[in-house]
Amino acid sequence: MSQAAPSPLATLRATAFGYAPRLLQGRGWAVAALVAVPVGISLGVFTFSRLQGLDSDPAEALRIFHDGLVKMMLPIMALVAAPAGIREDLEQRTLPLLLVRPAAVWAYPLGKGLPWFLWGAAWLVLGALGLQVVGGDPSLLLGRIGALVGAWWGELALMTLVGLLFKRGTLWGALYFFLWEPLLRIFPPFLQRLTFTHYIESLAGSRAAEVKTHELLAQEQVTTHPAVAILVLVAFGALCWALAGWKLHRTPIGLAGSEAEG
Amino acid sequence: MISLDRASLRYGPILGLSPTTFELPDGGGITGLLGPNGAGKSSLLQLLSGLLPPSGGEVRVFGQAPFRNPAVLARLGLVPEGDRLPSGLRADRWLRMMGELSGLSGEALKAAQARALETVGMADRAHLTFARMSKGMRQRIRLAQALLHGPELLILDEPFNGLDPEARLGLMDLLRRLAGEGVRVLVSSHILSEIAQLTDRILLLFRGRLLAEGTVTEIRQLLDRHPVELRLTGEPLDLARWAVEQPELAALRMEEGAVVLSVRSPRDILPRLQQAAAAGRIPLRALDPLDLNLDAVFQYLTKDHA
Repeated sequence: MSQAAPSPLATLRATAFGYAPRLLQGRGWAVAALVAVPVGISLGVFTFSRLQGLDSDPAEALRIFHDGLVKMMLPIMALVAAPAGIREDLEQRTLPLLLVRPAAVWAYPLGKGLPWFLWGAAWLVLGALGLQVVGGDPSLLLGRIGALVGAWWGELALMTLVGLLFKRGTLWGALYFFLWEPLLRIFPPFLQRLTFTHYIESLAGSRAAEVKTHELLAQEQVTTHPAVAILVLVAFGALCWALAGWKLHRTPIGLAGSEAEG
Repeated sequence: MISLDRASLRYGPILGLSPTTFELPDGGGITGLLGPNGAGKSSLLQLLSGLLPPSGGEVRVFGQAPFRNPAVLARLGLVPEGDRLPSGLRADRWLRMMGELSGLSGEALKAAQARALETVGMADRAHLTFARMSKGMRQRIRLAQALLHGPELLILDEPFNGLDPEARLGLMDLLRRLAGEGVRVLVSSHILSEIAQLTDRILLLFRGRLLAEGTVTEIRQLLDRHPVELRLTGEPLDLARWAVEQPELAALRMEEGAVVLSVRSPRDILPRLQQAAAAGRIPLRALDPLDLNLDAVFQYLTKDHA
Protein backbone atom coordinates (compact mmCIF):
# COMPACT_ATOMS: atom_id res chain seq x y z
CA MET A 1 0.00 0.00 0.00
CA SER A 2 2.94 2.36 -0.50
CA GLN A 3 1.86 5.88 -1.39
CA ALA A 4 3.04 8.53 -3.81
CA ALA A 5 5.01 11.38 -2.26
CA PRO A 6 2.86 14.33 -1.16
CA SER A 7 3.20 17.62 -3.02
CA PRO A 8 5.17 20.46 -1.39
CA LEU A 9 1.89 22.29 -0.81
CA ALA A 10 0.42 19.23 0.91
CA THR A 11 3.59 19.01 2.99
CA LEU A 12 3.27 22.66 4.04
CA ARG A 13 -0.40 22.24 4.88
CA ALA A 14 0.10 19.01 6.83
CA THR A 15 3.01 20.38 8.86
CA ALA A 16 1.34 23.71 9.57
CA PHE A 17 -1.93 22.14 10.74
CA GLY A 18 -0.16 19.30 12.51
CA TYR A 19 1.90 21.57 14.74
CA ALA A 20 -0.67 24.36 15.11
CA PRO A 21 -1.86 23.10 18.55
CA ARG A 22 1.56 24.06 19.91
CA LEU A 23 0.51 27.71 19.60
CA LEU A 24 -1.99 27.38 22.40
CA GLN A 25 0.65 26.19 24.86
CA GLY A 26 3.07 28.13 27.02
CA ARG A 27 5.40 29.34 24.31
CA GLY A 28 2.54 30.51 22.13
CA TRP A 29 1.05 32.57 24.93
CA ALA A 30 4.50 33.96 25.73
CA VAL A 31 4.75 35.22 22.15
CA ALA A 32 1.28 36.75 22.42
CA ALA A 33 2.14 38.37 25.75
CA LEU A 34 5.18 40.08 24.26
CA VAL A 35 2.79 42.21 22.22
CA ALA A 36 -0.24 42.21 24.46
CA VAL A 37 1.48 43.24 27.68
CA PRO A 38 3.14 46.53 26.59
CA VAL A 39 0.17 47.56 24.48
CA GLY A 40 -2.24 46.48 27.21
CA ILE A 41 -0.36 48.44 29.87
CA SER A 42 -0.34 51.47 27.61
CA LEU A 43 -4.08 51.11 27.03
CA GLY A 44 -4.63 50.77 30.76
CA VAL A 45 -2.63 53.91 31.55
CA PHE A 46 -4.43 55.75 28.75
CA THR A 47 -7.84 54.71 30.06
CA PHE A 48 -6.90 55.59 33.63
CA SER A 49 -5.67 59.03 32.52
CA ARG A 50 -8.89 59.66 30.67
CA LEU A 51 -10.94 58.61 33.67
CA GLN A 52 -8.93 61.02 35.82
CA GLY A 53 -9.54 63.76 33.28
CA LEU A 54 -5.85 64.00 32.41
CA ASP A 55 -4.46 64.56 28.94
CA SER A 56 -2.58 61.65 27.43
CA ASP A 57 0.87 62.03 25.93
CA PRO A 58 0.53 62.13 22.12
CA ALA A 59 4.02 60.67 21.72
CA GLU A 60 3.13 57.62 23.81
CA ALA A 61 2.01 55.49 20.85
CA LEU A 62 5.14 56.36 18.90
CA ARG A 63 7.37 55.53 21.86
CA ILE A 64 5.74 52.15 22.47
CA PHE A 65 5.83 51.29 18.79
CA HIS A 66 9.49 52.09 18.21
CA ASP A 67 11.09 51.44 21.59
CA GLY A 68 8.76 48.72 22.81
CA LEU A 69 7.51 46.66 19.91
CA VAL A 70 10.16 47.22 17.24
CA LYS A 71 13.35 47.36 19.29
CA MET A 72 12.51 44.89 22.04
CA MET A 73 9.44 42.77 21.52
CA LEU A 74 9.76 41.80 17.85
CA PRO A 75 13.29 40.38 18.26
CA ILE A 76 12.30 38.61 21.49
CA MET A 77 9.26 37.15 19.74
CA ALA A 78 11.52 35.77 17.02
CA LEU A 79 13.97 34.44 19.61
CA VAL A 80 11.14 32.70 21.47
CA ALA A 81 9.16 31.38 18.50
CA ALA A 82 11.89 30.22 16.12
CA PRO A 83 13.25 27.49 18.43
CA ALA A 84 9.75 25.98 18.46
CA GLY A 85 10.01 25.47 14.73
CA ILE A 86 12.16 22.88 13.01
CA ARG A 87 14.95 23.50 15.53
CA GLU A 88 12.76 21.92 18.21
CA ASP A 89 12.59 18.64 16.28
CA LEU A 90 16.33 18.72 15.86
CA GLU A 91 16.90 19.18 19.57
CA GLN A 92 14.22 16.72 20.68
CA ARG A 93 15.55 14.20 18.15
CA THR A 94 12.13 13.78 16.60
CA LEU A 95 13.35 15.09 13.25
CA PRO A 96 14.15 11.59 11.88
CA LEU A 97 10.45 10.78 12.10
CA LEU A 98 9.84 13.58 9.60
CA LEU A 99 12.92 12.94 7.48
CA VAL A 100 11.96 9.34 6.71
CA ARG A 101 8.70 10.51 5.13
CA PRO A 102 8.58 10.85 1.36
CA ALA A 103 7.57 14.53 1.72
CA ALA A 104 9.57 17.57 0.55
CA VAL A 105 12.12 18.05 3.32
CA TRP A 106 12.79 21.66 2.28
CA ALA A 107 9.18 22.56 3.11
CA TYR A 108 9.42 21.56 6.78
CA PRO A 109 10.99 24.78 8.17
CA LEU A 110 8.35 26.96 6.50
CA GLY A 111 5.57 24.49 7.34
CA LYS A 112 6.48 24.54 11.01
CA GLY A 113 7.10 28.30 10.97
CA LEU A 114 3.87 29.35 9.27
CA PRO A 115 1.59 28.84 12.30
CA TRP A 116 3.99 30.89 14.41
CA PHE A 117 4.11 33.62 11.79
CA LEU A 118 0.33 33.81 11.56
CA TRP A 119 -0.09 33.71 15.32
CA GLY A 120 2.48 36.45 15.93
CA ALA A 121 1.14 38.53 13.03
CA ALA A 122 -2.37 38.40 14.44
CA TRP A 123 -1.17 39.71 17.80
CA LEU A 124 0.96 42.39 16.14
CA VAL A 125 -2.05 43.62 14.16
CA LEU A 126 -4.05 43.74 17.38
CA GLY A 127 -1.17 45.60 19.02
CA ALA A 128 -1.02 48.15 16.21
CA LEU A 129 -4.77 48.67 16.48
CA GLY A 130 -4.45 49.06 20.23
CA LEU A 131 -1.83 51.76 19.78
CA GLN A 132 -4.28 53.68 17.60
CA VAL A 133 -6.52 53.99 20.63
CA VAL A 134 -3.62 55.43 22.64
CA GLY A 135 -3.03 58.08 20.01
CA GLY A 136 -1.32 56.75 16.92
CA ASP A 137 -1.52 58.69 13.69
CA PRO A 138 -4.38 57.07 11.68
CA SER A 139 -2.60 57.78 8.39
CA LEU A 140 0.30 55.59 9.52
CA LEU A 141 -1.80 52.62 10.73
CA LEU A 142 -1.42 50.55 7.59
CA GLY A 143 2.28 51.35 7.43
CA ARG A 144 2.76 50.29 11.04
CA ILE A 145 0.88 47.05 10.52
CA GLY A 146 2.91 46.39 7.36
CA ALA A 147 6.13 47.21 9.19
CA LEU A 148 5.41 44.95 12.14
CA VAL A 149 4.13 42.01 10.11
CA GLY A 150 6.83 42.36 7.45
CA ALA A 151 9.60 42.56 10.03
CA TRP A 152 8.10 39.63 11.98
CA TRP A 153 8.14 37.55 8.78
CA GLY A 154 11.77 38.42 8.13
CA GLU A 155 13.01 38.09 11.71
CA LEU A 156 11.26 34.75 12.30
CA ALA A 157 12.68 33.39 9.05
CA LEU A 158 16.15 34.69 9.90
CA MET A 159 16.08 33.08 13.33
CA THR A 160 14.87 29.78 11.86
CA LEU A 161 17.78 29.81 9.43
CA VAL A 162 20.28 30.78 12.14
CA GLY A 163 18.90 27.96 14.31
CA LEU A 164 19.72 25.46 11.58
CA LEU A 165 23.12 26.95 10.80
CA PHE A 166 24.43 27.26 14.36
CA LYS A 167 24.07 25.19 17.50
CA ARG A 168 23.67 28.35 19.56
CA GLY A 169 21.35 30.04 17.12
CA THR A 170 19.44 31.92 19.82
CA LEU A 171 22.66 33.47 21.10
CA TRP A 172 23.73 34.60 17.63
CA GLY A 173 20.26 35.95 16.99
CA ALA A 174 20.29 37.91 20.23
CA LEU A 175 23.70 39.35 19.37
CA TYR A 176 22.42 40.39 15.96
CA PHE A 177 19.25 42.04 17.24
CA PHE A 178 20.60 43.69 20.34
CA LEU A 179 24.19 44.46 19.38
CA TRP A 180 24.57 44.60 15.62
CA GLU A 181 21.40 46.50 14.74
CA PRO A 182 22.02 49.28 17.30
CA LEU A 183 25.70 49.45 16.33
CA LEU A 184 24.81 50.08 12.71
CA ARG A 185 23.50 53.45 13.87
CA ILE A 186 27.05 54.74 13.74
CA PHE A 187 27.86 53.17 10.37
CA PRO A 188 27.52 54.84 6.98
CA PRO A 189 23.91 55.17 5.82
CA PHE A 190 24.15 52.54 3.09
CA LEU A 191 25.02 49.92 5.72
CA GLN A 192 21.89 50.82 7.63
CA ARG A 193 19.94 49.29 4.80
CA LEU A 194 21.07 45.98 6.29
CA THR A 195 18.90 46.51 9.37
CA PHE A 196 15.26 45.68 9.90
CA THR A 197 14.86 49.06 11.59
CA HIS A 198 15.56 50.89 8.33
CA TYR A 199 12.65 49.23 6.53
CA ILE A 200 10.38 49.45 9.54
CA GLU A 201 10.94 53.19 9.68
CA SER A 202 10.38 53.44 5.97
CA LEU A 203 6.98 51.79 6.35
CA ALA A 204 5.89 53.20 9.70
CA GLY A 205 7.21 56.69 9.14
CA SER A 206 10.66 57.94 9.97
CA ARG A 207 11.01 59.31 13.45
CA ALA A 208 13.53 61.88 12.31
CA ALA A 209 11.20 64.81 12.93
CA GLU A 210 9.94 63.53 16.27
CA VAL A 211 12.88 62.24 18.28
CA LYS A 212 16.12 63.70 19.49
CA THR A 213 19.14 63.56 17.27
CA HIS A 214 20.97 60.86 19.26
CA GLU A 215 17.92 58.60 18.97
CA LEU A 216 17.87 58.71 15.21
CA LEU A 217 18.59 55.50 13.43
CA ALA A 218 20.20 57.09 10.43
CA GLN A 219 22.39 60.09 10.04
CA GLU A 220 20.04 60.97 7.25
CA GLN A 221 16.32 60.65 6.71
CA VAL A 222 15.11 57.20 5.66
CA THR A 223 14.20 57.61 2.02
CA THR A 224 13.46 54.04 0.94
CA HIS A 225 10.01 53.90 -0.59
CA PRO A 226 7.52 51.96 1.57
CA ALA A 227 6.67 49.62 -1.31
CA VAL A 228 10.34 48.80 -1.68
CA ALA A 229 10.64 48.35 2.07
CA ILE A 230 7.81 45.81 2.31
CA LEU A 231 9.17 44.04 -0.75
CA VAL A 232 12.61 43.81 0.84
CA LEU A 233 11.21 42.42 4.10
CA VAL A 234 9.04 39.85 2.32
CA ALA A 235 11.82 38.84 -0.05
CA PHE A 236 14.37 38.60 2.75
CA GLY A 237 12.03 36.38 4.76
CA ALA A 238 11.33 34.18 1.75
CA LEU A 239 15.06 33.88 1.09
CA CYS A 240 15.71 32.84 4.68
CA TRP A 241 12.93 30.22 4.59
CA ALA A 242 14.31 28.90 1.31
CA LEU A 243 17.85 28.74 2.69
CA ALA A 244 16.60 26.98 5.84
CA GLY A 245 14.81 24.44 3.65
CA TRP A 246 17.87 23.96 1.49
CA LYS A 247 20.09 23.52 4.56
CA LEU A 248 17.74 20.91 6.02
CA HIS A 249 17.46 19.08 2.72
CA ARG A 250 21.21 18.98 2.20
CA THR A 251 22.29 18.14 5.74
CA PRO A 252 22.39 14.48 6.73
CA ILE A 253 20.79 14.35 10.17
CA GLY A 254 20.85 11.04 11.98
CA LEU A 255 19.06 9.60 14.96
CA ALA A 256 21.36 11.37 17.38
CA GLY A 257 20.64 14.71 15.75
CA SER A 258 24.23 14.86 14.61
CA GLU A 259 25.61 14.98 11.15
CA ALA A 260 27.62 12.23 9.57
CA GLU A 261 30.27 12.76 6.95
CA GLY A 262 28.35 11.95 3.82
CA MET B 1 15.33 -5.50 -1.42
CA ILE B 2 18.44 -4.30 0.41
CA SER B 3 22.00 -4.38 -0.79
CA LEU B 4 25.12 -2.84 0.67
CA ASP B 5 28.32 -2.81 -1.32
CA ARG B 6 31.24 -1.83 0.91
CA ALA B 7 29.04 0.81 2.48
CA SER B 8 30.64 2.69 5.35
CA LEU B 9 29.67 5.57 7.62
CA ARG B 10 31.91 8.01 9.43
CA TYR B 11 31.00 10.58 12.09
CA GLY B 12 33.89 12.94 11.55
CA PRO B 13 36.97 11.02 12.72
CA ILE B 14 34.90 8.18 14.19
CA LEU B 15 34.09 5.17 12.07
CA GLY B 16 30.47 4.24 12.72
CA LEU B 17 30.35 1.41 10.23
CA SER B 18 33.25 -0.25 8.45
CA PRO B 19 32.87 -1.09 4.76
CA THR B 20 30.05 -3.64 4.85
CA THR B 21 28.60 -5.84 2.16
CA PHE B 22 25.43 -7.89 2.37
CA GLU B 23 22.09 -8.40 0.69
CA LEU B 24 18.59 -9.09 1.90
CA PRO B 25 16.21 -10.66 -0.57
CA ASP B 26 12.71 -9.45 -1.45
CA GLY B 27 9.71 -10.77 0.45
CA GLY B 28 8.62 -10.95 4.04
CA GLY B 29 10.55 -12.23 7.01
CA ILE B 30 12.38 -10.94 10.03
CA THR B 31 16.06 -10.17 10.05
CA GLY B 32 17.75 -9.47 13.36
CA LEU B 33 20.60 -7.04 13.64
CA LEU B 34 22.56 -8.14 16.66
CA GLY B 35 25.43 -6.47 18.40
CA PRO B 36 26.44 -4.83 21.67
CA ASN B 37 26.02 -1.11 22.23
CA GLY B 38 28.23 0.85 19.86
CA ALA B 39 28.46 -2.01 17.38
CA GLY B 40 27.15 0.08 14.49
CA LYS B 41 23.55 -1.16 14.42
CA SER B 42 22.01 2.30 14.43
CA SER B 43 24.52 3.49 11.83
CA LEU B 44 23.49 0.67 9.51
CA LEU B 45 19.80 1.34 10.09
CA GLN B 46 20.30 5.04 9.40
CA LEU B 47 21.94 4.20 6.10
CA LEU B 48 19.09 1.89 5.15
CA SER B 49 16.35 4.29 6.17
CA GLY B 50 17.87 7.13 4.19
CA LEU B 51 18.65 9.37 7.15
CA LEU B 52 22.35 9.42 6.35
CA PRO B 53 24.19 8.87 3.07
CA PRO B 54 27.11 6.44 3.13
CA SER B 55 30.58 7.94 3.55
CA GLY B 56 31.82 5.31 1.12
CA GLY B 57 30.47 2.44 -0.92
CA GLU B 58 26.87 2.07 -1.99
CA VAL B 59 23.54 1.48 -0.27
CA ARG B 60 20.54 0.33 -2.29
CA VAL B 61 17.04 -0.17 -0.98
CA PHE B 62 14.42 -1.29 -3.51
CA GLY B 63 17.17 -0.81 -6.09
CA GLN B 64 17.79 2.86 -5.32
CA ALA B 65 19.89 5.02 -3.00
CA PRO B 66 17.60 5.84 -0.06
CA PHE B 67 19.01 9.18 1.13
CA ARG B 68 16.31 11.88 0.59
CA ASN B 69 14.71 9.62 -2.01
CA PRO B 70 10.89 9.81 -1.80
CA ALA B 71 10.47 6.74 -4.01
CA VAL B 72 12.31 4.64 -1.42
CA LEU B 73 10.99 6.41 1.67
CA ALA B 74 7.38 5.85 0.55
CA ARG B 75 8.00 2.11 0.85
CA LEU B 76 9.72 1.91 4.23
CA GLY B 77 8.81 2.64 7.83
CA LEU B 78 11.26 3.46 10.62
CA VAL B 79 10.85 3.14 14.37
CA PRO B 80 13.91 4.89 15.83
CA GLU B 81 15.32 3.98 19.23
CA GLY B 82 13.84 5.61 22.33
CA ASP B 83 10.41 7.01 23.02
CA ARG B 84 10.87 10.58 21.89
CA LEU B 85 7.84 12.22 20.32
CA PRO B 86 7.02 15.90 19.71
CA SER B 87 5.90 17.45 22.96
CA GLY B 88 2.46 18.90 23.46
CA LEU B 89 0.65 17.11 20.63
CA ARG B 90 -2.18 14.60 20.61
CA ALA B 91 -1.30 11.20 19.18
CA ASP B 92 -4.21 10.98 16.74
CA ARG B 93 -3.56 14.43 15.26
CA TRP B 94 0.15 13.79 15.00
CA LEU B 95 -0.51 10.46 13.28
CA ARG B 96 -2.82 12.19 10.82
CA MET B 97 -0.01 14.60 9.96
CA MET B 98 2.46 11.76 9.53
CA GLY B 99 -0.03 10.01 7.25
CA GLU B 100 -0.40 13.15 5.14
CA LEU B 101 3.37 13.44 4.94
CA SER B 102 3.38 9.88 3.63
CA GLY B 103 1.02 10.83 0.81
CA LEU B 104 -2.24 9.66 2.37
CA SER B 105 -5.38 11.77 2.35
CA GLY B 106 -9.14 11.63 2.80
CA GLU B 107 -10.79 8.30 3.54
CA ALA B 108 -7.60 6.37 2.81
CA LEU B 109 -5.85 8.34 5.56
CA LYS B 110 -8.65 7.74 8.05
CA ALA B 111 -8.70 4.03 7.27
CA ALA B 112 -4.92 3.74 7.48
CA GLN B 113 -4.83 5.57 10.81
CA ALA B 114 -7.59 3.42 12.27
CA ARG B 115 -5.88 0.26 11.03
CA ALA B 116 -2.47 1.26 12.41
CA LEU B 117 -3.93 2.21 15.80
CA GLU B 118 -5.90 -1.03 15.90
CA THR B 119 -2.78 -3.01 15.02
CA VAL B 120 -0.79 -1.55 17.91
CA GLY B 121 -3.73 -1.68 20.31
CA MET B 122 -4.04 2.08 20.81
CA ALA B 123 -7.35 2.81 19.09
CA ASP B 124 -9.06 3.88 22.31
CA ARG B 125 -6.20 5.96 23.68
CA ALA B 126 -5.03 7.90 20.65
CA HIS B 127 -6.77 11.07 21.83
CA LEU B 128 -4.20 11.45 24.63
CA THR B 129 -1.28 13.83 24.40
CA PHE B 130 2.17 12.24 24.36
CA ALA B 131 2.91 13.75 27.77
CA ARG B 132 0.09 11.67 29.29
CA MET B 133 1.25 8.40 27.74
CA SER B 134 3.41 5.72 29.32
CA LYS B 135 6.64 4.66 27.68
CA GLY B 136 4.98 1.53 26.27
CA MET B 137 2.11 3.56 24.82
CA ARG B 138 4.51 5.99 23.16
CA GLN B 139 6.43 3.07 21.71
CA ARG B 140 3.22 1.72 20.20
CA ILE B 141 2.42 5.10 18.66
CA ARG B 142 5.90 5.21 17.17
CA LEU B 143 5.24 1.82 15.66
CA ALA B 144 1.85 3.01 14.38
CA GLN B 145 3.45 5.95 12.53
CA ALA B 146 5.77 3.52 10.78
CA LEU B 147 2.88 1.26 9.74
CA LEU B 148 0.53 4.00 8.54
CA HIS B 149 1.46 3.87 4.88
CA GLY B 150 1.76 0.09 4.66
CA PRO B 151 5.55 -0.15 4.27
CA GLU B 152 7.19 -3.11 2.53
CA LEU B 153 10.26 -2.69 4.72
CA LEU B 154 9.90 -1.99 8.44
CA ILE B 155 13.03 -0.96 10.33
CA LEU B 156 13.05 -0.99 14.14
CA ASP B 157 15.99 0.19 16.23
CA GLU B 158 16.09 -1.47 19.67
CA PRO B 159 12.28 -1.61 19.89
CA PHE B 160 12.19 -3.75 23.04
CA ASN B 161 14.14 -1.35 25.24
CA GLY B 162 12.11 -0.30 28.25
CA LEU B 163 9.12 -2.49 27.45
CA ASP B 164 7.65 -4.73 30.12
CA PRO B 165 7.60 -8.51 29.35
CA GLU B 166 3.97 -8.47 28.27
CA ALA B 167 4.46 -5.57 25.89
CA ARG B 168 7.62 -7.24 24.59
CA LEU B 169 5.77 -10.45 23.76
CA GLY B 170 2.96 -8.46 22.19
CA LEU B 171 5.40 -6.60 19.97
CA MET B 172 7.09 -9.85 18.97
CA ASP B 173 3.74 -11.33 17.97
CA LEU B 174 2.94 -8.22 15.97
CA LEU B 175 6.26 -8.30 14.13
CA ARG B 176 5.80 -11.99 13.31
CA ARG B 177 2.33 -11.25 11.99
CA LEU B 178 3.60 -8.41 9.81
CA ALA B 179 6.38 -10.61 8.49
CA GLY B 180 3.78 -13.26 7.68
CA GLU B 181 1.87 -10.66 5.68
CA GLY B 182 4.88 -10.05 3.46
CA VAL B 183 6.59 -7.15 5.26
CA ARG B 184 10.37 -7.42 5.52
CA VAL B 185 11.17 -6.55 9.15
CA LEU B 186 14.67 -5.49 10.16
CA VAL B 187 15.01 -5.28 13.91
CA SER B 188 18.08 -4.43 15.96
CA SER B 189 18.85 -5.52 19.49
CA HIS B 190 21.83 -6.08 21.74
CA ILE B 191 20.09 -9.00 23.46
CA LEU B 192 20.66 -12.36 21.82
CA SER B 193 17.64 -14.06 23.37
CA GLU B 194 15.28 -11.37 22.08
CA ILE B 195 16.50 -11.78 18.55
CA ALA B 196 16.58 -15.56 18.83
CA GLN B 197 12.91 -15.60 19.85
CA LEU B 198 11.97 -13.44 16.95
CA THR B 199 13.92 -14.03 13.86
CA ASP B 200 14.92 -16.50 11.22
CA ARG B 201 17.98 -14.60 10.12
CA ILE B 202 20.71 -12.69 12.00
CA LEU B 203 23.35 -10.15 11.09
CA LEU B 204 26.09 -9.89 13.73
CA LEU B 205 27.78 -6.52 14.13
CA PHE B 206 30.66 -5.60 16.37
CA ARG B 207 32.66 -2.38 16.54
CA GLY B 208 31.34 -1.21 13.22
CA ARG B 209 32.02 -4.48 11.44
CA LEU B 210 29.69 -7.13 10.13
CA LEU B 211 31.11 -10.26 11.74
CA ALA B 212 28.70 -12.89 10.55
CA GLU B 213 25.35 -13.46 8.98
CA GLY B 214 23.15 -16.50 8.92
CA THR B 215 20.32 -18.30 10.63
CA VAL B 216 20.06 -18.50 14.39
CA THR B 217 21.30 -22.11 14.24
CA GLU B 218 24.31 -21.15 12.16
CA ILE B 219 25.18 -18.31 14.52
CA ARG B 220 24.75 -20.59 17.53
CA GLN B 221 27.08 -23.15 15.97
CA LEU B 222 29.57 -20.39 15.40
CA LEU B 223 29.29 -19.34 19.03
CA ASP B 224 29.53 -22.96 20.24
CA ARG B 225 33.05 -23.21 18.85
CA HIS B 226 34.17 -20.89 21.60
CA PRO B 227 34.52 -21.92 25.23
CA VAL B 228 32.18 -20.35 27.77
CA GLU B 229 33.03 -20.03 31.45
CA LEU B 230 30.69 -21.49 34.08
CA ARG B 231 31.23 -21.23 37.82
CA LEU B 232 29.87 -24.21 39.77
CA THR B 233 29.58 -23.52 43.49
CA GLY B 234 29.69 -26.54 45.79
CA GLU B 235 32.28 -29.11 46.86
CA PRO B 236 35.10 -28.26 44.42
CA LEU B 237 36.78 -31.67 44.27
CA ASP B 238 33.58 -33.60 43.57
CA LEU B 239 32.53 -31.05 40.99
CA ALA B 240 35.95 -31.19 39.32
CA ARG B 241 35.82 -35.02 39.24
CA TRP B 242 32.50 -34.87 37.39
CA ALA B 243 33.69 -32.09 35.07
CA VAL B 244 36.85 -33.81 33.80
CA GLU B 245 34.72 -36.66 32.43
CA GLN B 246 32.76 -34.28 30.19
CA PRO B 247 33.90 -34.09 26.55
CA GLU B 248 33.03 -30.37 26.26
CA LEU B 249 35.52 -29.36 28.96
CA ALA B 250 38.29 -27.14 27.65
CA ALA B 251 39.80 -25.89 30.92
CA LEU B 252 39.21 -26.07 34.64
CA ARG B 253 40.15 -23.76 37.51
CA MET B 254 39.69 -24.36 41.22
CA GLU B 255 38.47 -21.55 43.45
CA GLU B 256 37.54 -21.26 47.11
CA GLY B 257 34.30 -23.28 47.38
CA ALA B 258 33.79 -23.41 43.63
CA VAL B 259 35.18 -24.63 40.37
CA VAL B 260 35.27 -22.64 37.13
CA LEU B 261 34.82 -24.64 33.95
CA SER B 262 35.62 -23.47 30.48
CA VAL B 263 33.32 -25.48 28.21
CA ARG B 264 32.48 -25.68 24.53
CA SER B 265 28.84 -26.17 23.49
CA PRO B 266 27.30 -25.18 26.83
CA ARG B 267 23.90 -26.15 25.50
CA ASP B 268 25.08 -29.80 25.42
CA ILE B 269 26.69 -29.91 28.84
CA LEU B 270 24.06 -27.95 30.77
CA PRO B 271 21.29 -30.60 30.59
CA ARG B 272 23.73 -33.29 31.83
CA LEU B 273 24.81 -30.99 34.66
CA GLN B 274 21.16 -30.46 35.56
CA GLN B 275 20.47 -34.21 35.58
CA ALA B 276 23.56 -34.96 37.68
CA ALA B 277 22.64 -32.32 40.24
CA ALA B 278 19.02 -33.50 40.40
CA ALA B 279 20.15 -37.09 40.91
CA GLY B 280 22.50 -36.01 43.71
CA ARG B 281 25.61 -37.21 41.88
CA ILE B 282 27.29 -33.80 42.27
CA PRO B 283 27.09 -31.41 45.25
CA LEU B 284 26.03 -28.35 43.22
CA ARG B 285 24.76 -25.33 45.15
CA ALA B 286 24.90 -22.64 42.45
CA LEU B 287 25.63 -22.23 38.75
CA ASP B 288 26.78 -18.88 37.31
CA PRO B 289 27.61 -18.36 33.66
CA LEU B 290 30.51 -15.90 33.77
CA ASP B 291 30.65 -14.77 30.18
CA LEU B 292 27.47 -15.72 28.42
CA ASN B 293 26.67 -12.09 27.84
CA LEU B 294 26.82 -10.85 24.30
CA ASP B 295 29.89 -8.70 24.79
CA ALA B 296 31.91 -11.79 25.71
CA VAL B 297 30.56 -13.69 22.75
CA PHE B 298 31.56 -10.86 20.46
CA GLN B 299 35.00 -10.74 22.01
CA TYR B 300 35.43 -14.40 21.00
CA LEU B 301 34.15 -13.71 17.53
CA THR B 302 36.42 -10.72 17.15
CA LYS B 303 39.44 -12.86 17.96
CA ASP B 304 38.18 -15.38 15.46
CA HIS B 305 37.58 -12.68 12.90
CA ALA B 306 41.08 -11.35 13.32
